[in-house]
Amino acid sequence: MALDLRSAGRRSTSSWRQVDLLLVAAVVGITAIGLLMIYSSTRQGQAAAGLDPGYFVKRQALFVGIGAFVLVAVAFVDYQLLRDHAHIVYGASLFVLLLVLSPLGTERRGTQAWFQMGPYQFEPSEVAKLALVVALAAFCAAHRGQLDSGRLTTALGIAAMPLLLIYLQPDVGTGMVFVAILMGILLVGGASPRQIAILTLLGITAIVIVLELGVLKDYQRDRLSAFLDPKEDVQRSAYNLNQSKIAIAAGGIGGRGLFQGTQTNLSFVPEQHTDFIFTAVGEELGFMGATTLLGLFGLVMWRTWRAAVTAKDEFGTLVCVGVLAMLVFQVFENVGMTMGITPIAGIPLPLMSYGGSATVATFAALGLVISVQMRRFS
Amino acid sequence: MRGDSTSMRLGILAVVVLSLFSALLARLWYLQVLSAPTAQAEAQLNSVRFIYTEAPRGRIIDRNGKVLVGNRVVPTVVVDKQELGEKPEVVIQRLSALVKIPPEKLQERLDDLRYSPFKAIPVADDVPKEVLIHIREHQVEFPGVQGVMLTKRSYPHGTLAAHVLGYVGEINDSELTPRKSRGYRAGDSIGKSGVELAYEDDLRGQAEVEKLEVDAQGRVLRSLGRQPAVQGHDVRLTLDLDLQKVTEESLVLSLATAQATYDNESAKRFLAPAGSAVVLDPRDGSVLAMASAPTYNPADFVDGISEMTFGALQDPAGHYPLNNRVTQGLYAPASTFKLVTSMAGLQTGLITAQYTVNDRGTFTIGDPPVVLKNALGEAFGPVNLAAALTVSSDVYFYELGSRFCPGQCRTSIQDTARELGMADFTEIELPFEASGRIPDEQTKQRLHDSNPEAFPDPEWYTGDNLNLAIGQGDTVVTPLQLANAYATLANGGTVYAPHVGGSILDVNGVEVRRVEPRVNRKTAIPASIRDPVVAGFEGAVAATRGTASTAFAGFPLSTFPIAGKTGTAQVSGKQDTALFTAFGPTTDPRYAVTVVMEESGFGAAAAAPVARRIFDHVVGLPLTPMAYSVARD
Repeated sequence: MALDLRSAGRRSTSSWRQVDLLLVAAVVGITAIGLLMIYSSTRQGQAAAGLDPGYFVKRQALFVGIGAFVLVAVAFVDYQLLRDHAHIVYGASLFVLLLVLSPLGTERRGTQAWFQMGPYQFEPSEVAKLALVVALAAFCAAHRGQLDSGRLTTALGIAAMPLLLIYLQPDVGTGMVFVAILMGILLVGGASPRQIAILTLLGITAIVIVLELGVLKDYQRDRLSAFLDPKEDVQRSAYNLNQSKIAIAAGGIGGRGLFQGTQTNLSFVPEQHTDFIFTAVGEELGFMGATTLLGLFGLVMWRTWRAAVTAKDEFGTLVCVGVLAMLVFQVFENVGMTMGITPIAGIPLPLMSYGGSATVATFAALGLVISVQMRRFS
Repeated sequence: MRGDSTSMRLGILAVVVLSLFSALLARLWYLQVLSAPTAQAEAQLNSVRFIYTEAPRGRIIDRNGKVLVGNRVVPTVVVDKQELGEKPEVVIQRLSALVKIPPEKLQERLDDLRYSPFKAIPVADDVPKEVLIHIREHQVEFPGVQGVMLTKRSYPHGTLAAHVLGYVGEINDSELTPRKSRGYRAGDSIGKSGVELAYEDDLRGQAEVEKLEVDAQGRVLRSLGRQPAVQGHDVRLTLDLDLQKVTEESLVLSLATAQATYDNESAKRFLAPAGSAVVLDPRDGSVLAMASAPTYNPADFVDGISEMTFGALQDPAGHYPLNNRVTQGLYAPASTFKLVTSMAGLQTGLITAQYTVNDRGTFTIGDPPVVLKNALGEAFGPVNLAAALTVSSDVYFYELGSRFCPGQCRTSIQDTARELGMADFTEIELPFEASGRIPDEQTKQRLHDSNPEAFPDPEWYTGDNLNLAIGQGDTVVTPLQLANAYATLANGGTVYAPHVGGSILDVNGVEVRRVEPRVNRKTAIPASIRDPVVAGFEGAVAATRGTASTAFAGFPLSTFPIAGKTGTAQVSGKQDTALFTAFGPTTDPRYAVTVVMEESGFGAAAAAPVARRIFDHVVGLPLTPMAYSVARD
């Protein structure tokens, strides 16, 4: 009885006290570095064009504010509600993904992935990642340990639907995140080693087919394969990569100092405030700064993993695993891309890259983790 | 609550995550710790541009400091074709209205191949300053257009001394390759001929280097420093502007006079297409004047020469005005070569100064006999060496020439020619000098080997020696070699390398370096040799019978005695080449003059009057009116 009372008391009044402050501190740290780097990499270009040097950092600060609010809101909701209504979440995400392909969506650089809303864009695929986490976690948790081939196929189908819609946009990078989420949840959620092995093989085959059979547009394949031999054609895709590596390496151990990087200041690295934000960290803050940033990311990963371990139920665990898979893949792919060890694919660096939808979606994902983590004893 | 299986799977997940992070850290270490130095250099290269602006070349001035080649700062509108933007025709239209040049003309300039692809093309020169300011203030309307102050070569005296000065042009690949390490870049200017080439290293300045920081779009953000241009050094020549003018004008005048004169031998007027004249100081080999006709305008080469103009300069019908005939022209010296034959005869002891030949107008040699005649078949009676030189008796020199050949001919004449610097480069610093040829057995054999049809007989006969003795046959020299040989006689035996450069001055006029006279060789000319020869040459100018006496009638020879020799060279298929060479005053020789005129007839008639006017100027007399005087040689 006493035990019941205690847990009841926690649930109703003090589960916010359970919030992992280490996780929150790491998120705050990364976000702060992100804002600083966005300012550093845009101020000079903006000023040269006679525009407000603080334009991008102000907008990003707004996105962070919205994200923080969303995080609190998501954490406030008991994640178990999501499990019960996973089909609605999933269905809604498919709906918006369909909608963005309609004339209501906006095309930019050959990809139809945005809704234009006044001065802002909303990218539904960012939210669809979370919907996939919830849907797969709910499905696997419901069939704990019994992922026979039929159910495995269903799980694959759940992932395949949004993947197909995103492929139609087409947005290869985000599609890869979906695959990462799928693999993470299947790994922990009960797929047998044999199934995992087969899926991995299938995945590799699919990648080869996609790369070789001209399913991709030329520029997409070029970007993806540029990392294999960046010296070959410095003018085009590989130019970005070379400049990116030069920027990071030029930072050396101590960095060239905040606002002092020439690669960063003079816009030699394209997309530097978005996908290539890590290069600004590398050049201006050096090895010390870059490892500090990776350390903070490591902290986020560790605390998310702890949340998965300590979750009170299978669904909670798998939601955390899904979010972890998503974050790890994005960080690895993005940072790896700037250093030339992974292909160039338009994946933002979580909490760092400029962009509203991705920022808010990441905060929402962390909200899910906190929601699971703070209710671990209830 | 967790099954072992889930714990294990979460463990695997942790391992995967850790290994991915390790990969990132390893790569980061590789890039930022191991590759940092190279990357920093590359980053530096990315963001820094160097803009080179050529420095003004040094000036070329005459011995008295008068400017022959100067610099002019010209406000110019230049256009970089690559930067004209998406609507070049609009920009050109706008520019056309501003500089008041029709757009077609502007386009024509932009398409003209003469302009360097490495530089912005000048489309309007000498524009008002306001135009430059307007362009700068409305740069957005004029992408790729710039108003600049260009420094250009200027020639205040037009074509004067063009062959000595040379011209400047854009460096070409073969010139650039060996000079890259010395800071030359494609598009740079370089001396192409004359002093501009010979003193390139002195005249060329140090380019201005501006270090700019640029962004990825190539926009200039700021200057990181500027190393100012250093103007090249001035070259002070040994040339005397006034004497040069007299020399050129007299040469041109004499050519024109010859062109108006009827030639009985070829039954038409003299063509007189080209000629040259040079004045040396025998005391150190410095060139006081050097003229070559026809000439060209070095200003045509400023900004690149148009294809049409250059084509005309290369057209054989124009007689190659770019050639400096003083150093590049090869002519049979004819009777002027008798200097060499005389000296060889005296040196070898084959004759003495008193040795006399009774000149009956002809000389017979060989079997069957061949009869050789004096020019115009004249008979001079008994002549000793000096008299033979004065009247230009060929018979005397045929006789002397044959004396070298009892059996195998001795090569004394050739040896003496070489002693006097013939058959070899004079080593004047001007480029493309010809070496000339003094024929002997070897050269004859070589000519035969190279072209047996034109030179059927490889052997050296007495007849060859007779031709050599009067400076005909295969003997060819440059006018400069001829002048230098007479200068050597004049100075007592020193063969100088002639030079046009006097000293190198920095921008403040302070002497950086002197061009010291160089001695090619010294040869002993004792009085026993010099005196009779000089006496003969003085007679040629002063004596009634002297071949050049008409040309020098009225000249104050008593105060300024001159030794001279006329020459008239037969050239197969052409009218005769007129030659005259002289030095004076013989008491203290300060001037050695040689004049050579193609297809102009007798040396005494066409060439000597040019030298006369040069000496007129030297002694401060009014120039003698030009007339094609009656003469024999």
